[in-house]
Amino acid sequence: MSNKVKVIPCSGIGKVFGLVAREATLKTVLELCPEKSETVCLAYIVTGDEEVKERMSGSVCITVDGCPKMCASKNVSLSGGVVVDEVKVLDTVRDHKGKNFGSATELSDDGYLVADEIAARIEKRIHEIL
Amino acid sequence: MVENFAILPCNGLDKCAGVISRELAIRLSEQADNKIICPVFYRVSETKYNKLAAERPLFVIDGCQTRCASKLAAEKNLKIARRVIVADEAKNRHMELTDSLRITEREAALIDLLIHTLHEESWNHPAALTGSPGSTDRSEGLIDRLFDVGNKSDTDLRIPAEDLDASFDFDYETIQNGKFIFRIPKNRDIFFNENDCWARVSGNRARIGVTDYVQQNLSDILYFYPPEVGDEIDQFGELGTIESSKAVFELVSPFSGKVIAINEKLEKNPELINENPYELGWIAEIELTDPEGDKELLIGFEKYFEITKKKVEDANVK
Repeated sequence: MSNKVKVIPCSGIGKVFGLVAREATLKTVLELCPEKSETVCLAYIVTGDEEVKERMSGSVCITVDGCPKMCASKNVSLSGGVVVDEVKVLDTVRDHKGKNFGSATELSDDGYLVADEIAARIEKRIHEIL
Repeated sequence: MVENFAILPCNGLDKCAGVISRELAIRLSEQADNKIICPVFYRVSETKYNKLAAERPLFVIDGCQTRCASKLAAEKNLKIARRVIVADEAKNRHMELTDSLRITEREAALIDLLIHTLHEESWNHPAALTGSPGSTDRSEGLIDRLFDVGNKSDTDLRIPAEDLDASFDFDYETIQNGKFIFRIPKNRDIFFNENDCWARVSGNRARIGVTDYVQQNLSDILYFYPPEVGDEIDQFGELGTIESSKAVFELVSPFSGKVIAINEKLEKNPELINENPYELGWIAEIELTDPEGDKELLIGFEKYFEITKKKVEDANVK
């Protein structure tokens, strides 16, 4: 089993903050911490497939949710993953009140700024964990 | 009748094919009135998408052979009108998918090709795609409808706002701090977001504006920059801006939908927002896209009242 921290965003399709969650995750696993982190597709996790259950069971996870429904956190927990940190995009967004973050299909510069802030926070957390 | 589609993509994240499925779904939704179903949220909560899935033919986009989207459709007993499996489509075109989780030129080219193919299908095999074997009417083609942007002009969308107009009785609660009084309407059909915007819902429409807290903080509002009638707004998307000598405030729309009217009086008299942000100073009206789903992310009077009270106390406004 991989020892990497699993960073899992909500599926986030159709909402700008969902896209922020996705971009923050990709930034983390592809650029900031490729050696220590990886992502798993949430749409696959929720299928409950045996392979993914085995992969998730007991794994250390950081979830990134775009809205208060907390799809990522809830479903990762249900799949057997251990959620050590629940990142909420809206918590960071609140520090940028009034900005235009782009749309559900494309982030603006401010949208990427928020995604980068979140990614930096996740990176810090990953270094604390490993 | 011309219908549009519910698009169920796998929305994959950790495989190139999944990333392409997501992008393809978004492109198709941008090109016409096709609505995307989020596979994760649909699995955990049916309510948001049941109506959509029941009313529209389903276009499923799977990234890889795990076929998460198809499995989900089967679990929900949905009839699939058309399915694309990105990995197969790439293979058929002798394109090798990489490990990339970003859309580069290569992936974008495949997406363009798929969209082009879907267009071609609608021209060459309309009957096979309509679900009505005898049909040869291209305008009824299933794939064609994926690209049908419709003929509605912005003018067609200008609906008079009688039922959202003056007859409504606002019932206010107030928070007072020193000389400042903040009014908040407590009617049940008024919703708020935490960005200090309100929306009064009537049927499938909503009138939207800023709260007293915003206008008090901005002080004299000097400029009003409205959205365009016909604009499609996402929930929490920007719905125009207002500006005072102190700051610019961007309205964050509580609901998703299409702008059908703006308060034209504000263009000459933005101070109406200061005078009464709920009645005279409303900003825009939108035709709602997903009122029930959007409401789940909004707050009612009680919660907004508590939030505002705390903000007023924290700011120690006098």
